[in-house]
Amino acid sequence: MIPATLLTNALLVGAVLFCLGLVGILTRRNLIVMFLSAELMLQGVSVTLVAWSRYHGDWGGQVLVVFVLTVAACEAAVALVFVLQAFARTGRLDASAWQALREENLPRVIDHGLPADDRVVPTWPHLSPAGVLPEGDDSRSLERDHV
Amino acid sequence: MDPVAATLPITGLLLAGSVAALAASLWLLLPKTSDTANSRRLGFLLGTGALIGFAATGRSLGGVGEDAVFLTVAGIAVISGLATIVTRSPVYSAIWFAMALAGVSGVLLVLGAQFLGVATIVVYAGAILVMFLFVLMLAQPSGMAPYDRVSNEPMLAAAAGAVLLGLLTLSIGRLSAAEPPSCCRMPSRAQAMAAATEGAASEDDRSARLIAPATAGVESVDADEVAHLGAELFGRHLFAVEVAGVLLLVALVGSIAVVSRGEATENDHRRESR
Repeated sequence: MIPATLLTNALLVGAVLFCLGLVGILTRRNLIVMFLSAELMLQGVSVTLVAWSRYHGDWGGQVLVVFVLTVAACEAAVALVFVLQAFARTGRLDASAWQALREENLPRVIDHGLPADDRVVPTWPHLSPAGVLPEGDDSRSLERDHV
Repeated sequence: MDPVAATLPITGLLLAGSVAALAASLWLLLPKTSDTANSRRLGFLLGTGALIGFAATGRSLGGVGEDAVFLTVAGIAVISGLATIVTRSPVYSAIWFAMALAGVSGVLLVLGAQFLGVATIVVYAGAILVMFLFVLMLAQPSGMAPYDRVSNEPMLAAAAGAVLLGLLTLSIGRLSAAEPPSCCRMPSRAQAMAAATEGAASEDDRSARLIAPATAGVESVDADEVAHLGAELFGRHLFAVEVAGVLLLVALVGSIAVVSRGEATENDHRRESR
């Protein structure tokens, strides 16, 4: 059993997480980030359920959260398979790549002013030279300089 | 004059201001083509102010507790959740989500749900998030893509989310401010079960003690929490557990079937064209 103030605080945290996930799933265009936002909404609901469960001293809410975990695992497995299939068809993790499925009266999403080069120039630390310059390595070109 | 009625307009103004500030901050932080470092900084400041405003509103409406541990883990969860949806790079987004999971797990632990706090870390951060990262690394090995730099309708979505959060805060504050009188409040199941099992408590039967919910006063930590949860899960909800197991199996088989069927048709196509 928890006091009512803790219940209020936990409900607020759950509400904040839910709304952040809602905004994320509405706006972001990367399919993976959209799924992360959905998981964030699930987390908010889980916090709310556990708070009420502890407030009432009833175990039903916590049992429900166990099932939420189970369903989230299933959902992630199935959804990632579909995301991978979608990626195999379009080569992008972009939700707008599938805008041919939109309703007839909606305008087409056209991106304006996107940067042509999405590379971020890395800022290397300035080190004083010491020793002999090592030999070049061909495998360097496979490394990623940003994430 | 009633002090609640006197503070209500100020609280309402504060709540409205917080809603507006949160909407503006989310809009500034979300990926757009026209954003600069300064606008992101302004968005972060506005967001921090809005969250403080929501906390203050909740305090004046119902009271935000002074529990420092809870505030810390809740802050970690909320700020990491915010960073999850506004970070440009999806890999960083996933890492921030792991951080948010850590915060949520802390919140669950503070609430006294020990098993769920640990299970959240194990299942989400250990399994689901790693799967997301696998797909991310597999599908987008070159890093940030142009479509990560823009959002769909960021202004409308930020306004919708902020307004929904304002409404939820308002209703939660009302909930705690106006506690219903005890005459018309439904007795919680714990009290009912306590009244029912009061006579049987003298028998000191372990199974009966496990199935009975936590009735021992107001302490927030239950030593037998996992045992109670297990007894509830495999007692009252045994059928649902079986259904969940079937669901897991079906999801496993289904995802493998979808993947392998896609590859098979591709091979068939290649064979035909050969």
